[in-house]
Amino acid sequence: MLAAASKKQYLFIALLVIAAIVIGFWEPHALIYGIQRGSLYAVIALPLALILGILGVLNLAHGEFLTVGMYATFVLFSRFGVDPMLSTVPVTLLLAVVGVAVYLLTIKHVLKAGHLSQLLITFGISLVISELIKSIYTTQPRGVFTTYSYSSTTLAGIRFGTYEFLYLLIAVAVLVGLQLFLKKTRLGQATFAVGQNPRGASIVGINVSFVYLFVFGLSIAIVGLASVFMVPRVSIFPGAGTPYTMKSFALTAMAGLGNLNGILLAGIALGIFEAVVNAIPGGSGWSDVVFFGVLILVIMTRAIREGRR
Amino acid sequence: MLEVKNLDVAYGRIQVIWNLSLNIGNNEVVGVFGPNGAGKSTLINAIVGVVKAKSGEITFDGVPIHNQETHTIARGGIVVVPQNRELFPAMTVKENLRLGAAYIPHARAKMDETIEYVYSLFPILKEREKQLAGTMSGGQQRMLVIGRALMSRPKMLILDEPSLGLQPSLVTEMFQILNRIKQDDMVILLAEQNVRQGLKVIDRGYVMENGRIAMEGSIEELSEDEHIRRAYLGV
Ligand SMILES: Nc1ncnc2c1ncn2[C@@H]1O[C@H](COP(=O)(O)OP(=O)(O)O)[C@@H](O)[C@H]1O
Ligand SMILES: [Mg+2]
Repeated sequence: MLAAASKKQYLFIALLVIAAIVIGFWEPHALIYGIQRGSLYAVIALPLALILGILGVLNLAHGEFLTVGMYATFVLFSRFGVDPMLSTVPVTLLLAVVGVAVYLLTIKHVLKAGHLSQLLITFGISLVISELIKSIYTTQPRGVFTTYSYSSTTLAGIRFGTYEFLYLLIAVAVLVGLQLFLKKTRLGQATFAVGQNPRGASIVGINVSFVYLFVFGLSIAIVGLASVFMVPRVSIFPGAGTPYTMKSFALTAMAGLGNLNGILLAGIALGIFEAVVNAIPGGSGWSDVVFFGVLILVIMTRAIREGRR
Repeated sequence: MLEVKNLDVAYGRIQVIWNLSLNIGNNEVVGVFGPNGAGKSTLINAIVGVVKAKSGEITFDGVPIHNQETHTIARGGIVVVPQNRELFPAMTVKENLRLGAAYIPHARAKMDETIEYVYSLFPILKEREKQLAGTMSGGQQRMLVIGRALMSRPKMLILDEPSLGLQPSLVTEMFQILNRIKQDDMVILLAEQNVRQGLKVIDRGYVMENGRIAMEGSIEELSEDEHIRRAYLGV
């Protein structure tokens, strides 16, 4: 289900803005870095949320699709000398095809099989993908160096990287694109309807299987898009995408299922939070522990509150 | 128009419809009466492809539909008002209505016209058109599903216990509205436990018990039958 922005969400935005201003004065680097990282988290989390919201499947292979996109970009670069920015279209399309194929071969057959089978099958897919990558490309880390990805600028005496602002741009573009798709197109309205009630959707003439196929393909394509822009800044190895599965799930859980705008906000909050923890002397390495601790608290409070209702 | 022949339906190993045959002619309103658990909903779900038949044949205007998917059957002109409504709770009344027509090619072009017709049947839906479907009362939701079904300009309307859970005054109103829909030349299959009210709408009816057709007849035959008088009409 996809819900509209609530009062609570505005409160959250207000808190986030205040925190951002405070942090901006205290540690401007953390703020900028946090917004950049957080936007990236959001781009990756949005498609996971879409698959979870519409198909009801938690895709544990999410991060492995990201890895596939990274290697595809790397191969285009190292073999054919294609600049990552030019890989955007081919890699996004490739991942759409991979998504559709994986859906038709596996996910499609477990949609009615219950959550446990679904989790197992997506976990299996994640293992298959990472082992395949290992056997083809070994575990040796790879990289793609471009000069523009390390460009930086100085503003009001603060020096920061500019490339990663692309993440914010892409996050906003993907979010706005998805919202327009859901509200303004026939297929998008069908998707929205299927997310609320698949049986009701089929009764009004919506081809529910096609919507599932499309949503899965589109989501994996978005993952591909994200991977292309990460490549110039990350080291590429078989497990490179793996941590993003849990981060994405965490953001989806924090935002509340179906709240796409909330994912961008939660992503930025997570990004800033990580940057702040890392800026504290001796803090690096603790951000995941603290973050998942906070997440457990958030989910538990929500569960308790909903249980009371 | 619709012909069901020797239908068997099972949930896993438990068979709930046994060798059932029935038919609905053009311009007919046909009732299927029976107690809770008789298999009325299962029969309807088999017709619209929500559950798959184990064996038997279902044809609509001569075309076999028992292997078609629900959305194809809907586009072919059979639309159902399910017992448990199946609305889109996070969408407004008007959005729900529009979705009823949006994916049926011949209905889409006439959407604005049909919505006025639905509003004339259910003025409350026009009053509430901006309200979220999930926040409406049970009775209003029931009206909304019927409205949504009509939006698809069906050749045949299947209603699964439309009076279920309505307060008595609304039940009477509901059957008056069904009579109006009937007068606008709709072919209807009506499943009901409320035989007394159902008899006011139908042309002909079946009685279903334990997954089988126990009796078939005209309004007169049904209302004069001893078993039906005792078991369903309380006389
Ligand atoms: N999804 C299901 N799974 C298993 N058994 C079911 C299911 N739905 C209905 N049944 C069983 O099938 C029989 C017929 O139910 P149903 O078609 O709902 O009857 P009615 O609509 O006449 O009340 C009942 O015994 C019911 O318990
Ligand atoms: Mg029933």
